This record gives sequence, C-alpha cells and structure tokens, in this order.
Amino acid sequence: MTQISHNSLSETAQEEKAIGIWKDSFDRLLKNKMAVVSMVVVSIMFFFAIFGPYLTPYDFLAQNLELRSQAPSAQHWLGTDYLGRDVLSRVIYGARTATLVSLLVVLISSVIGVLVGSISGYFGGKLDFFLMWFTDLNMAFPNLVLGVVMAVSLRPPVSRWMESMFLKTQNPVFRQSSLLDLALVVIVIVAVAWSPYARVLRSQVMAVRNYNYVTAARALGLSTFTIVTKYIIPNAIGPVIVQMSAGMGSAMLTESAFSFLGIGINPPIPSWGNMINEGLRQWTSAPYLLAAPAVVLGLMTVSFSFLGDGLNDALNPKQWKG
Amino acid sequence: MLQYILLRLVRWIPGVILLMFIVYALMFFGGGDPVQIMFSREATDLFMPGNPRYEAVKEQLGLNRPFLVQFGDYLWKMLHGDFGMALTDGRPVARTLAAATPITISIALAASAIIAIVGIPLGVIAALNQNHWADNLILGGALFFWGIPTFVMAPLLMVLFCLELNLLPVPRGWHGVFDVNSIIPLTVAALRPMALVIRQARSAVLDVLSEDYIRTARAKGLPEWVTIIKHALRPVLTPVVTQMGVVMTNLLAGSLLLEIVFGIPGIGKLIRDGILNNDYSVLLGCTFVVLALVTLTNLLVDITYPILDPRLRSTQKGAE
Repeated sequence: MTQISHNSLSETAQEEKAIGIWKDSFDRLLKNKMAVVSMVVVSIMFFFAIFGPYLTPYDFLAQNLELRSQAPSAQHWLGTDYLGRDVLSRVIYGARTATLVSLLVVLISSVIGVLVGSISGYFGGKLDFFLMWFTDLNMAFPNLVLGVVMAVSLRPPVSRWMESMFLKTQNPVFRQSSLLDLALVVIVIVAVAWSPYARVLRSQVMAVRNYNYVTAARALGLSTFTIVTKYIIPNAIGPVIVQMSAGMGSAMLTESAFSFLGIGINPPIPSWGNMINEGLRQWTSAPYLLAAPAVVLGLMTVSFSFLGDGLNDALNPKQWKG
Repeated sequence: MLQYILLRLVRWIPGVILLMFIVYALMFFGGGDPVQIMFSREATDLFMPGNPRYEAVKEQLGLNRPFLVQFGDYLWKMLHGDFGMALTDGRPVARTLAAATPITISIALAASAIIAIVGIPLGVIAALNQNHWADNLILGGALFFWGIPTFVMAPLLMVLFCLELNLLPVPRGWHGVFDVNSIIPLTVAALRPMALVIRQARSAVLDVLSEDYIRTARAKGLPEWVTIIKHALRPVLTPVVTQMGVVMTNLLAGSLLLEIVFGIPGIGKLIRDGILNNDYSVLLGCTFVVLALVTLTNLLVDITYPILDPRLRSTQKGAE
C-alpha cells in the first residue's frame, strides 16, 4: 500500500507499476487451469451470442407441427420441442438472451455501485451509515422474492408507458413485448443486484482515501469531484472487476430463474430459464428438452463462478487460498 | 444481553418495515385494480370503475382511503395475524400461509442440518490437506455446486435418478422430511449453499491451526485428532454460525424454486400461484413470511455469536 503512494510521486513509475500489477495478475490467472477452461467456455458463449443466430440451421421461431417433440436426430441434433421448433437453435439463441441481459445488468449495477460506494466511502458519516444500512438490507434478503414483487408490479405501468410512447411516436419498437420483457428484467435484476458492488467499492475507497497522494491532492486544492474520480476510483476499482465476473454469472442465474418463473423473458423468445420451464412439462417423455438448456445454463454459471474465483485469486493473492 | 438483543432488533425491524413499505407501494401503485382482479372470472362489466357495485365493493374493502392509511392498517392487522384475504378465492391469506410456512421452514432446517453435518467436516478435511488433491477436490466441488442453479440441479437429478436409473420414486408433493420423496429435494436444497459453509470452515481452521494454543496442544503430545476436535473445532464454529444468515437466505431462495419443480405446497408454490393469478395479497403475505424468516435467522445468529465467542461478550459490554 505504501508502495503505491510512493510511486504516485512520478507518473511514469505509477504507470509501470500499474501495468506490472495487471500483467502479474493475468499470469497468475493463466496458471489456474479451471479459470482458463472457464474463460474458453465463456468466450465460446460470447461467440454464439454474437454470431449464433446466423449459424443455426433453423430459425429459432420456425414451427414444424409435423415434427413435434422429436428425439435428437441427424436433422435436429437436440430434438424438437412441443411446437416442432429446433431445440439446438433455441439453445443457441438463448445464449444471446442470457449474455445481453447479464451484460446490461453488470454494467448498470457497477455504475450504481461505484456511485453509491464512492459517495458512502469518501464522505462517511450519517450518509454512509444510511447508505450501508440500505445496502446490507438489500443484500440480506433473497433477491428472488423482492424481484418477483417488482417484476409483477412494474409490468403494468411500464407497458402502459410503452403504449403511450407508441401512440405518441408511432414507432413500432414500443409495441415489442420482447423489448418490454428485456427492459423489465434488467431493471428488476439491477434493483436487487447492485448492493455487492457498492459494498466492495466502499471498503476500497475507505482504504484509498487515507493514502498520502490523496492528502497531497487535497492539499493542492483539487475539487472533491476530481479527487474522487481521478485519484480514488481508479485505485479502488480492482475488486469491482472481480465482482463483475461473479456478477455476470449470478445475473445470468437470476435472469433464468425469473424466466423460469414466468416473470422474465417470456416465450416465444428463448431464454434457458423459460426453456427449462417448458421442458419440465414433459420431462418424463422428453427429458432432452429439459436437459439441453439445463446443462448449458449450468455450464455457463459454473464457468463464471470458476472464472470469478480465479480472478479473485489473481487480483487478491493474499485472500483465502492461504 | 437484553440490551444487546434490543440493539439488534432496532437494527432489523426498521429494515423489515421499510421493505414491506416498498413492496406495498409497488403493489399499490403498480399492480392492477384489486376489485377487478377479484371478480376477473365473473361478469366483469359489473365491476368496472363507475359502476355502483364496483364502488360499493371498493368502499367496503376500504380501498378509497389514502395510501398511507391503508398501509398502516395493513401493518396493524398483520401484527394481529390478519393478512387480509386472497383476491382470487377470498380465503384468508393467514390460513394459507400457516399451512405453507411450516413446509418451507422444515425444508430449510433439514437442509441446514445436512449442510452442517456434511459441510463442516468437509471444510475441516480441506484445511487439514491444504493445497493437496483432497483440498482441491472439495473446494472445486463446492464451487461447482455453488455455480449450478437450483432449478437446473433439481430437474437434472430427477431425470437421472427417477428416469434413467429408476432408483427413486418421482418426488411429488410433501410427506415430511423423513420420506423417500424428500431425498432429492433436500439434497438439491443443501448442495448449493454448502459451498459457503465449506469455505468458511476451511479458512477458519487454517486461521486456528496457526494459533499458539494449538502448537501447545501438539507439543504436549496430544494425538492430532484430539487436538483438532478439542481445541480447533470450537473457534471454527463461530465464523460458520455467522455464515448461517447468508446460508438461510440462499436456502429460502432455493426452496422457493424447488417447491415449484417438485410441486411441494410451500411458500414458493404460493408465490408462483400468486404470480399466475396476479394475487397481490398472497404475494404480500409471502414476502412478509420470507422477510420475517430471514430476519429471525439473522437475529438468532447475532444472539448466538457472543455465546460462542466469549471475547465478543466483553467487547459488547465495553461498547454499551
């Protein structure tokens, strides 16, 4: 810790050190086999999320009522569902849903977390007490329950607002129910998932704000805004990045849990959660309908948790691995 | 001690009230018209705004009062065990909750027993074999099961054990904790949060093993297992107990999803039905039960904490 404040005396030294830390961490990450495997799995999913819909042999919505609930075959590798849609194409499209939702959730929650955490950590006092009380409250209660309430009660007002926007602008975008689902699910997950980011950043900010270079910046008469954005946040952001990787996995998990419950992404747009729910209806006669999305979702969330763990070890080597 | 408990209560109760307020406000302003939901299966035009019958029902239920009055009234009645009536079938929500809550609680308790019995020894074994294959296997396994969502694990195990291997009957409904039907649900419930306990127990043992009194115990020639059980385990329990609040939150969330997969008539099933029927009063009641259970666990944890760790008792007194 003292090293960082020494180095801040000269710009170049600080930059060298910064590159050193990141490269060091990356090397440590590469030594962790599970983390590397997870990185590969996650990259494959990103690839399919971006290009998947152009690669699949069938449209994910195309129904073929003559081929309903078929077992896996050469034409349909993972079989077809109760409407004769190709399960493989739907699972691949599900990657896009999952990635889109979790990326949005992680980005928005980390922005909120950075805001709340830096305000709370830098200013301290009563404001800090109140903000952290609320953050802890948010963390203590199950995401799912509060999320359910929010998803159910926000839907009517948001859909009314979208309808009024449609009438005002005649833009058909506002009539798409998939957009409504997406917006709602992102809002709800952010509302229940921002708190860990704020907690993590706050404790970092509290450590960093007492460093000598921050005192120096204050003595130079820099504005609080400049001090926080230029000197404190860049040095406190590391653990937030770890949290973002773990957060991708848990956002993905929450999205599919909501879709599973029927309050997230609704059919016909495929999400692994709603596919599991549909598969559950005929799990004895066609277990592969259930197994395909379940295995892929499980693989993804497991990969994210191993990746998050690897990043944590790489960036905070002193922690818990002794 | 009493003062300490009261301090904890002061920390938690405003939180529960605030969350209930947020939830109530969301339902009140966001959700649909309760009268219309109540009569959605009947001649709806009779129950449209403006119709005298609609207005009469609304007046009778006190829905014309200001928001804060209604919220205060709801809280007051709730404290007296009256959760209002379900919008869809008109049955008292309190009675529905009273039937469902014990099931969810027994799943959570049974699962936390499994977690304690299996998780703590696994954590200890991992710590004693630090960085050996057993440690890596246990930590990797914990992280693996932590990663898999409940509603993925549950159907996959069901397909494996009931369909492919044909070992167990298909679990459906709830027949008590010690029933063959409960094996899969309880296993699934315990698997995910177990990671939290294993990790906590492991790092606690690692901390304790470097203490002087452990070296003394070893030096005076105690067998290793006596050292571990007599001297190392007790301080390990404290951090594990503190983790139970988080474990409980996870168990409850998992239980909700499990109940839906296996058709167990607990709180999760009620929430699912509440979503499907748009039944706000049921959802509100369920939310309260979950909030209350989480708060109770955290309070219990807060209270057991100083009992397990005498050092805290003295600092508590000092702080007071």
